[in-house]
Amino acid sequence: MGVEAATIGNFARSREELLAQVPELDRFQTGHLRHIENIARQLPNDWANMGTQLSWQENFEAFRYQLAYMAYAVALTHFHRLPAAPGYFRQTFDDLIQKMLLPDVWYFWRETSRGGGEVNKDAPISPGQVNPIDRDNIMYSAYLQSMSALYNVLFDDDKYTKPGALTMKFNPFLFRTDQCEDFAYDQNSINEHLYWRMVESGYLGIACEPFCTFQICQQPAILGFRLNDVLNGTDRATEVTEGFAAAWKEFGQFDEQGHYTTFVKTSTGEVQPNQSGAWSDGWLGTLLNMWSPDLVKGHYPEGIRKWVKDLPDGTSFVPPYVPEGAEGADVSAGSSVDFGWCCTWASEVGDQELLSRFLGYADKYLSPKWKDGGYYYPRNDKFVDEDGNAITVSPQAGNALLPYARLNVPDGLNKLYNAPWGPAHFAEPLITEISDTVDVTRARWLPEPRSLVFSLARREGREGEVALVIANVFTQDGGSWHLNAGEAEIASGTAAVVTAVSSGIRIERVGHDLHVAMPIAGKSDFILQWQS
Amino acid sequence: MTPVVDPALSLTDHFGKAVRFADFRGQYLLVFFGFTHCKVVCPRTLGKLSEALDRLGPQSAALQPLYVSVDPERDTPEVMRAFLEARYPRFLGLTGSAEQIAHAKAAFRVFAERKVNPDDPGDYDMPHTALVYLLDREGNYLLHLAPHLDVDAVVTRLGKTIQTQTDSE
Repeated sequence: MGVEAATIGNFARSREELLAQVPELDRFQTGHLRHIENIARQLPNDWANMGTQLSWQENFEAFRYQLAYMAYAVALTHFHRLPAAPGYFRQTFDDLIQKMLLPDVWYFWRETSRGGGEVNKDAPISPGQVNPIDRDNIMYSAYLQSMSALYNVLFDDDKYTKPGALTMKFNPFLFRTDQCEDFAYDQNSINEHLYWRMVESGYLGIACEPFCTFQICQQPAILGFRLNDVLNGTDRATEVTEGFAAAWKEFGQFDEQGHYTTFVKTSTGEVQPNQSGAWSDGWLGTLLNMWSPDLVKGHYPEGIRKWVKDLPDGTSFVPPYVPEGAEGADVSAGSSVDFGWCCTWASEVGDQELLSRFLGYADKYLSPKWKDGGYYYPRNDKFVDEDGNAITVSPQAGNALLPYARLNVPDGLNKLYNAPWGPAHFAEPLITEISDTVDVTRARWLPEPRSLVFSLARREGREGEVALVIANVFTQDGGSWHLNAGEAEIASGTAAVVTAVSSGIRIERVGHDLHVAMPIAGKSDFILQWQS
Repeated sequence: MTPVVDPALSLTDHFGKAVRFADFRGQYLLVFFGFTHCKVVCPRTLGKLSEALDRLGPQSAALQPLYVSVDPERDTPEVMRAFLEARYPRFLGLTGSAEQIAHAKAAFRVFAERKVNPDDPGDYDMPHTALVYLLDREGNYLLHLAPHLDVDAVVTRLGKTIQTQTDSE
């Protein structure tokens, strides 16, 4: 701490006991968050570190997937690990939503909407359309829907419900300027649109590319339905999940090999078994656990073992799917997200042992990198190294999936789906704003004894003091409070009075919030505790 | 977006009379799509709605329950009349040409698809949307009821909605 200690805090429970109740992020988890924040802060259309192996935003590493699963990783971390620090995440989450609205992310739909895909060449071709929400394309629209709902639920901010708050602008500057068009939606209108599309489909689901309805791609929409239900007092998620289960029973949720079936060709009624690797099982297993955990956990032990290779060094990995004709030097034609989705799958079902082996493999063989405080696995198009180890990394795995897996907790998405925050959470003391000079490594409100426990770590190379706002301090029931940094009390107060005990701290009441500014060096643990 | 029903949308009732949705103005409409050969969803839903209407008491007088066929090939007016009068007499059946039914399905965003019955290749089923729609006295969508709602919940939601609407009239 850079502040001068004045008095020793007076806590009902020892500082060590309180800190032990609130696990701290490790440096790799903090590094992943920082990497996601670094990407989120990039200027519009700066896609550094996100460049994809395939052009046309076609494959499972496309920007929309990277942005969405980085956002989901942030959501899970905030919800489970740092629930009292919305200010640490909010801007990042919002920036990711804003990037989803950029044409580089969604304009692929003008071509993809025509149909004629590799997997259903026999299906009809259409003129296509630019609007990425109107028809099919659940592989984009459901992410925008669920991300905006998550933002509302996690940050108690309904700004995306305002008309036009989610507008995709087709606005080229020089060419086709006579065809400019805004596609104006908002959190509720997208949710309504997808819901009724789901009804019209008989709950089988909404197609991604024309005539291809994937099991997995309905799950983000179901998350969005559920969160909007919580916000709007509806119960569409129950209806949709019951309908989905019934509709897929007809085609079978599993293929003859025991894998999740991948998609239904709605032009022919054929169901597509899993023919292209572990990604399909891992992805669906990760998300389906939200509302069908018994099915997922019943399938998981045998299901994941079909894919995993254990190494003598105590690590494990999933060999990437190698498309026909791409064997050898690279997998540039493949998705190479198999390993990443198996990592998230293990994290969600709570297979900590395998997750640890997976992350051990990633840290040892996938050339992780620290950059601007962020920790990630850079894209690597090579298939194997000179020793024969699989080393391919897609940006989706390196930026989003491996961080997601390391930041998730067992049943993380399931718990977020089933018991999202309500008004009681937003009445607790929360760090609603914090300067970017520090990382937050711990932040949780303990109702008994009434304590906000948080830890801050100075970011290397970031100068200046840390300023933070702790909301709801002056809406708590009476009694005095004390703010300690380490073992030293740095401020105290009551409902009426605020006193800085240390000389280096500036502190004031603004409405119901406590504003704090202070120098900080290294890492420090803070406890704000009330004495009734 | 929510269903929008064209008042000019025309069908044939189970007495064989041509009707338009505009003809029902002044009454709340409780609309359910199905087919008389349905073995599970329709009997369950029509039974549940009939009980709910009984329990609504005087409020049900303002409601016209409609059962719209998604299987016009088999559901002639005569077939629908016999089916409904015997088992669900509160309902008025509506059927029509394939084109008319397609328009009705599109307006209510209803899914229905002909499938061969696996137990009898000469027969077919029509898996269909099991939502129940409530329209106001002008034919505007008010709400829909999901299939998992039990009869208590249906009574509560219909009763409250009609009361609120009546109070604001």
